[in-house]
Amino acid sequence: MDFDFSDEQYMFQQATRGLLDKSYGLDRVRALLEGDGLDRELWTSLTESGAFAMLVPEEHGGMGLSFVDLSLVLEEYGRSLVPAPVAETIAATDVIVRHGTAEQEERLLPPIAEGRLKIVPAVAEAEAGYDPEDIGVTAVPSGNGWKVSGRKVLVPHAATADLILLAIRFGEEGSLGLALIEPDRAGISLREHATLDPSSRFHQLDLDGVTIVRDDIVGGEPSAASVTRLLDACGVVAATMMTGISGKVLDQAVGYAKQRTQFDKPIGSFQAIKHRCADMAVAIDASRSAAYYAAWALAEDAPDRRRAVSMAKSYCGDTSRFVCNEGIQLHGGIGFTWELGLHFYLRRAKVLEYSYGDAAYHRERLLADTIQQIGAGRG
Amino acid sequence: MDFTYSAEDLAFRDELRTWLAANLPAGWGETVFEPEDEDENAMFRLDWERKLHKGGWNGIAWPQKYGGRGASLVEQAIFAEEMARARAPEGLNIIGRNLVATTLLHHGSEEQRQRYLPKIISGEEVWCQGFSEPNAGSDLASVRCRAIREGDHFVVNGQKIWTSFAQYAQWCILLARTDSTLPKHQGISFLLVDMSTPGVSIRPLRQISGESEFNETFFDNVKVPVANLVGDLNGGWKIAMTTLTYERGPEDALGRQIRFKQELDTLIDTAATLKRGASPAIDDPTVRQKLAKAVVEVEIMRLNCLRAFSKALKGKPRGPEASMNKLYWSHVTQNMYEAALETLGPLAPLDGGDPLSPADGRFQLSFLRSKAFTIYSGSSEIQRNIIAERLLGMPK
Repeated sequence: MDFDFSDEQYMFQQATRGLLDKSYGLDRVRALLEGDGLDRELWTSLTESGAFAMLVPEEHGGMGLSFVDLSLVLEEYGRSLVPAPVAETIAATDVIVRHGTAEQEERLLPPIAEGRLKIVPAVAEAEAGYDPEDIGVTAVPSGNGWKVSGRKVLVPHAATADLILLAIRFGEEGSLGLALIEPDRAGISLREHATLDPSSRFHQLDLDGVTIVRDDIVGGEPSAASVTRLLDACGVVAATMMTGISGKVLDQAVGYAKQRTQFDKPIGSFQAIKHRCADMAVAIDASRSAAYYAAWALAEDAPDRRRAVSMAKSYCGDTSRFVCNEGIQLHGGIGFTWELGLHFYLRRAKVLEYSYGDAAYHRERLLADTIQQIGAGRG
Repeated sequence: MDFTYSAEDLAFRDELRTWLAANLPAGWGETVFEPEDEDENAMFRLDWERKLHKGGWNGIAWPQKYGGRGASLVEQAIFAEEMARARAPEGLNIIGRNLVATTLLHHGSEEQRQRYLPKIISGEEVWCQGFSEPNAGSDLASVRCRAIREGDHFVVNGQKIWTSFAQYAQWCILLARTDSTLPKHQGISFLLVDMSTPGVSIRPLRQISGESEFNETFFDNVKVPVANLVGDLNGGWKIAMTTLTYERGPEDALGRQIRFKQELDTLIDTAATLKRGASPAIDDPTVRQKLAKAVVEVEIMRLNCLRAFSKALKGKPRGPEASMNKLYWSHVTQNMYEAALETLGPLAPLDGGDPLSPADGRFQLSFLRSKAFTIYSGSSEIQRNIIAERLLGMPK
């Protein structure tokens, strides 16, 4: 029985924090407001830190590690507002490792490990909920392959990605599956969204008769399991990053409360402030429990993976909402300024909160599972 | 990370399961339950504790020298989990077993250990805790109950409150002021008081649940032998802090979590059978969200415990992190009972005495009882101070 990380895993976390504290401050986040939003220097230093090699098996040039090893690292990425497509590429790597064909692994994993492929998921649709069954973009058989038309929204960094991991339906009544396509494939057009988080980039992706061949399909055959794996991996990544954001905002709030003086005392000596900070600390600690467990469940593909993901995504989302709101409140007027920059955390957390299933969606999914599991109402 | 138990630990678990199956009454938890009358219930729990002792399952964490098994932390966790899974009664002598024993093992003399520990583990002597007073609650160090040394005795005068199980107790651990000239934390001593001494009287207090587990205890010129002083004269505060640190460890919390989870499963089952117009209550999306939130929060209680427990296994000392767990579970379980009444909706006002009350009124009783969670063992306000000052380093 050991629900803790190893010394090595903690050391990797410390190294990641050291790297990001030194080279990736809020000034760099501000710089992302201009241009294509891709921080190439950060991408390079994260590549050197092994970020993209962690999930890649050793035979493909990676480190052969798991989501458990990644968990604390992802928390640090959240904490420092590491932008897309870093975490997206890592989640996509997990799906390729689990569901890819031998040929896909051979072709994709070595360049992923070397930081030469940026991969982003395209899941959301303007008229769909969070349930993957809502996915409406459909590929229809055509010649040796498929033709796909339709619209995806909120695709992170589609313009700078090397590959898009497209979650679609194959045939009108057919299976869901994933296809890997280049953003410049014929029939694809992009439009940049205006979003709550200007330090990220999101695109609307229009597909007009885009050709997909068998080799593009993750696993060679459409597989609904690959889609749920992608969603679960992205959900855990988002939950963990939101937890990192919450931790950072609490640290900022506590630091401010210790030095800000009113009524001749640091405001941190007032119980109205202290108690709120204690409540945030408790919620963040509980978020860690949920996020770390979900990472383990993903790594082991445990029977309760789905439940663990829903617990983490809903709880960590609620926590980031609570902590970001209170963190700004605690700062008073200065907290409301663009200049201070707390809003970057709020904005990023907000986008994550509503990505890959919001809290209400995941709670419903969890309850439906629970009712079935305990056989409620069957006497 | 690894969520499995070793083969030795599983063997320990199986041994316990076998014993429980053989020693719990037939039909336990299905057709046979604990007695409802409070006094009968207390005696039933004491009998159960004596049975545990005969089977070698009481006070398992204690050193073998004093009748325990010297059980490892993992074994203690398994014990708490298995007792909860079997819905086994909780013994009556919780204070004796957990608080008094731990305190004497840390701070008592060998003579005191030899005198008191065997009768705690055998269930012969039940203990209560005389710490809080009407004017010393969260500010425990301001206790006024006085113990004046006269020859080979202390003479104790004063009042204690919230003394659970005093009506069944033969002994009491008492925090008393032995020097009122010293700063308040430094003039307190830790005494062991025989409840049958002349001058000790108790008055039951009725709780909001209607039950009377706790009492007021009065000390009127009560003579306590000097030999019953634990540790140094005026050194009682530090000892009391040890007592409170070990009041509730993560291994116990694992067992408690299972009992809450059983309640929650019963609630979900009740929601599935409860008619609300044309469909069962569980089809109501608002009810579903609330139940799901409770499922998440109660499950995270287990995960929190496992994390704290894993740190304890690595030998990291118990610190202010315990306050985080206490604050967390006490509030989420209160929320769960709030959700229970919301689930019952129009039938929520029907208490256990009414034949139409869903699930025999268990949720109404538990709801009322849950109001204590955020008050006892350090109120939420005190826990928040501890977290803010000791963990977050915020100024006093």
